[in-house]
Amino acid sequence: MSFFGFEETDLEKEKQQFLHGQLRSSDTDDLTVYTWGEESYDGLGDALEEGGDERNNETFGSTGTVGKDFDFSAATLSGSENLQPKPSQPYNDQPLKSYASRPSESQVTRPPAASHVSLESIWDDNSPFSLRMNGAGRTSSPSSGRVQSPSTLQQPIGHGMKQQPGTRTLQEIEAEMRAAAERTREHTLQRQLLQQQQHRREEEEYRRQQQQQQQEMELELLQRQRFLQQQQEQQLQLQRLQQQQILQQREQQHHRTPPPRMLPVSQSPRFLEHQRLLLLQQQQEQQELLRLQQLEEQLRIEDLERQMRAQQISHHGGSHLDHDRHPSGPTLADMEALQLLQQQQQREILRGSQSPTKHSAHDNGLYMQQPNIQLQQRLLSELANTEFLREMQGLSQADQEVLRAEAMRKILETEKMEEKRRRKAAKIAHMSRYNDIMTQSDKDFITRIQVSQLVTQDPYADDFYAQVYGAIMRSRMGLGSDDERVLKFGTSGGIGLGVPQRGANRRPNAMQRMQQQVERIVSNARRREEEKGLHSLHSLQGALGKTSGRSYKAAPRQLLQVDSNSSPTLSHAQTHGHISHQNDNSSGDDAAAEAAKLGREALGEQHNAETSDLVRKDPLSRKEVLVTLEALYDLVLQLEQLKRNQAPPEDEQATAEWQNEFKSVLDQTWVLLKVMVPLATSDPHPFISILSIAKGKKLLPRLTRHLDNQRMLTLLTLLIACFSQLDVIRNAPFLDNPEDTPDHSEVERQTQAFLSGVIQSILPIIAKGSLRLISGLLGLLLDRNDVVAIAKTRPGLALLTLLLTRVEVIKESLHNATNIEELPSPEDAEQWQLMFDHLFQLLTPHFPFLFPSSRTIDAAAGHIKPGMDAPDQPVWQFLAALALHAVTEQHQILVTLLRDKVLDNVVSAKKGWVADEEERHAKLANVDLFLHALGLDSSQIAM
Amino acid sequence: MDPSSSGIQEPFDLIRLSLSERVFVKLRGDREMTGILHAYDGHMNLIMSDVEETITIVDTESPEGSNVSVAKRKMDMLFVRGDGVILVSPPSRS
Repeated sequence: MSFFGFEETDLEKEKQQFLHGQLRSSDTDDLTVYTWGEESYDGLGDALEEGGDERNNETFGSTGTVGKDFDFSAATLSGSENLQPKPSQPYNDQPLKSYASRPSESQVTRPPAASHVSLESIWDDNSPFSLRMNGAGRTSSPSSGRVQSPSTLQQPIGHGMKQQPGTRTLQEIEAEMRAAAERTREHTLQRQLLQQQQHRREEEEYRRQQQQQQQEMELELLQRQRFLQQQQEQQLQLQRLQQQQILQQREQQHHRTPPPRMLPVSQSPRFLEHQRLLLLQQQQEQQELLRLQQLEEQLRIEDLERQMRAQQISHHGGSHLDHDRHPSGPTLADMEALQLLQQQQQREILRGSQSPTKHSAHDNGLYMQQPNIQLQQRLLSELANTEFLREMQGLSQADQEVLRAEAMRKILETEKMEEKRRRKAAKIAHMSRYNDIMTQSDKDFITRIQVSQLVTQDPYADDFYAQVYGAIMRSRMGLGSDDERVLKFGTSGGIGLGVPQRGANRRPNAMQRMQQQVERIVSNARRREEEKGLHSLHSLQGALGKTSGRSYKAAPRQLLQVDSNSSPTLSHAQTHGHISHQNDNSSGDDAAAEAAKLGREALGEQHNAETSDLVRKDPLSRKEVLVTLEALYDLVLQLEQLKRNQAPPEDEQATAEWQNEFKSVLDQTWVLLKVMVPLATSDPHPFISILSIAKGKKLLPRLTRHLDNQRMLTLLTLLIACFSQLDVIRNAPFLDNPEDTPDHSEVERQTQAFLSGVIQSILPIIAKGSLRLISGLLGLLLDRNDVVAIAKTRPGLALLTLLLTRVEVIKESLHNATNIEELPSPEDAEQWQLMFDHLFQLLTPHFPFLFPSSRTIDAAAGHIKPGMDAPDQPVWQFLAALALHAVTEQHQILVTLLRDKVLDNVVSAKKGWVADEEERHAKLANVDLFLHALGLDSSQIAM
Repeated sequence: MDPSSSGIQEPFDLIRLSLSERVFVKLRGDREMTGILHAYDGHMNLIMSDVEETITIVDTESPEGSNVSVAKRKMDMLFVRGDGVILVSPPSRS
């Protein structure tokens, strides 16, 4: 083993050498030097606090420091050998340098190294050490001579003191040790001195080298640098002087450690000094350590003696601290046996066992008792189980298997459940770390903040799309659409609640709670407002007299003339509000002037009465139309808003106010719609211009909902009077062109918008119209428009069909009418017949060309494109309506003119010249639509 | 009609007029499109329907000088991010 530079074989070698008496005295030269007790001794050891060490063993365990084995052995050895000039530490033949390099370690680490070299052999009978040291009494009892640890190593001394009265006292030992140390120290001192001298020589050499270098440098460097160097040199020399002084001091003090090798590592003299100081410190520490170790050893020996004595007493007295640990023995005999065992064991432990195996064997024998009980219990339970199973033997083997499987399954299940439950519990526990971090008031506070962000002046409009979507959803879900999902707080504002949840779980609760929260907040806010109102500054304002309002003479000149009227009309449309400021200025003037005339023109009776005072204007530009439309949309939204916020009927005042407001907004809308603008003002009429844009067409149904019957009639009259001015009529020829041109799709889009928007909005008026009104409208249409052109368009056909159908309904109601006043007068009927005949007459040459399929380019080339049945369908429908009103001669005309068309369809359907069954069906359905009106059917047509 | 009475006070008002109307939009990266404008915001993000996009591709790598080709595509509904919008106008009327 090579431990801290010690060679393993050293001890053995030593032994051999010793046995042969060849131990050289020169070896002792290398030993450490202890300088305590010298003249240079600083006396720090005396200043040490010596007391309070009695309990060190209890605190640090009884192992104690181990550094003194060799001193001890050396002492005893030297004692027995009578102070031969022999090494106190025989293993140590290492050079001193290694010692100096780790002075503290050398003291501490030696014992383990020594103990490793099988101390047993030292104490062995054959060992010369043991022979010399202990005498025959010791070797005779192998059990008492066990040495395992450094602490027990000291045991023989105590023991020996008891058993061997002739042992030396501690003072004697110490004296011996000191003597030995003295000797070794002297040797080392000599060595040190040699080394120091050598070192000094080295230093001088180094200095010379430096000087040489400096001289060389001086030749090369500038004077200033030289000066600096000289300064440095001076400093260096100064430092060197100091160093020398220190060295001399050290020599005087007989420091035993050699100075470090002064290699020119650093030019800084401070570094050298530092190193030297460090060494000094180390030396001092070493000395102190030595002293301390000696003291400790002394104390340890005393302590051990005390312990031994106490143990012996305790053993003999039979009092055990650990006695109650094993209450296993039930009988008294057992107890006694156990006690005996324990005693044995304890003794063993205390003395330290020679062989660990033996010790553990004892140990096991003792401690096995407890597991035995557990084993017994387990066995008992197993027995019970087997007995239970034996009882089950009555059942068949298969049943048992089934039962076992079942049981296993159940066990697994429960285990799984348990696992699940545990995981859940762990999760909950994990989350519950945050339980009750927030108090209820904290939560309320946060809810308040959140809710305050939601409160708006106009909850419906701010949440418009969600509200509308919610309404649709509710109607689809079959819920009552009456309740708006809006929390309202009087006039102050509210919160949109969004779409109701389908599942009735936690959400509604949260909703209710929020509702309550909000209500509380709002009521609190209102109360505060009221209190403020009562005690506000306003009530006290001016109580102490008035201050002069203006301190400046004149207001600064106004540079910007901002229109103060352009305030937003809607709270939610602030960014666009200014658009809603209408252009009534431009239209207002003429509107007043022409209002009288419009009254006359209202029903279109005097449509030709273009008086001289008519102000002709250019038609509205597209931009004007768009601006008007935006304004109209704002107004319509406002109207819808007002409708929703309708005051309760009980509150008469509020109702009156609401009605006034509603009426004023409606009037604005009516004016803006420009229906009352004289017919001949422009072409197209401003109202028609508004309808020329898709969103204008879409707006109409939303707007007409709020108009009264009279206004609606006026609107309808105007529309019919100017029907040919409509873009859908004018641009209708585009639809006859092949598809997929931008114009075509645009017109198609507009047509769709017109049919779904405008026609839908006038439908209720026509559906309720009297025969007189219908014939008047038809007359107006025929008079002011090119009815042939109109009839060639889908909107025109739709209108005509609408009128004819209404009259048909009226005719039918004639037969079962009960109220005589509802019946149309004969004059009205006559008027109608006149109008119808006129219409028929006008359309007669164009019947075949009413069909879009006949108007296409392909049709001109003499062949009809397939897939035109859907566009033809309204035409067939119109012709059917026409046929219903027609008299026999008119029927013949119709059949004659449409014969080809009907046959075309029927033949192609019956001969299978169709793409699919659907088309065939469509063709036949179209033809039948018309033929049925004549009292015929497609099946009657024979091929 | 003067601007004050027409209520046009800021550029966005002009775009507002074109709501639900067909507009022409010029975009960065040589892209143009026409479609019906449904919504816009302050960033000029646009929602458009029935859109036809025209992409002009100039191929400078081709052997016979620069070669301009046009790609078109149609979309039913489109969200246009505002940072790409250069110009929004009513479609030119022929």
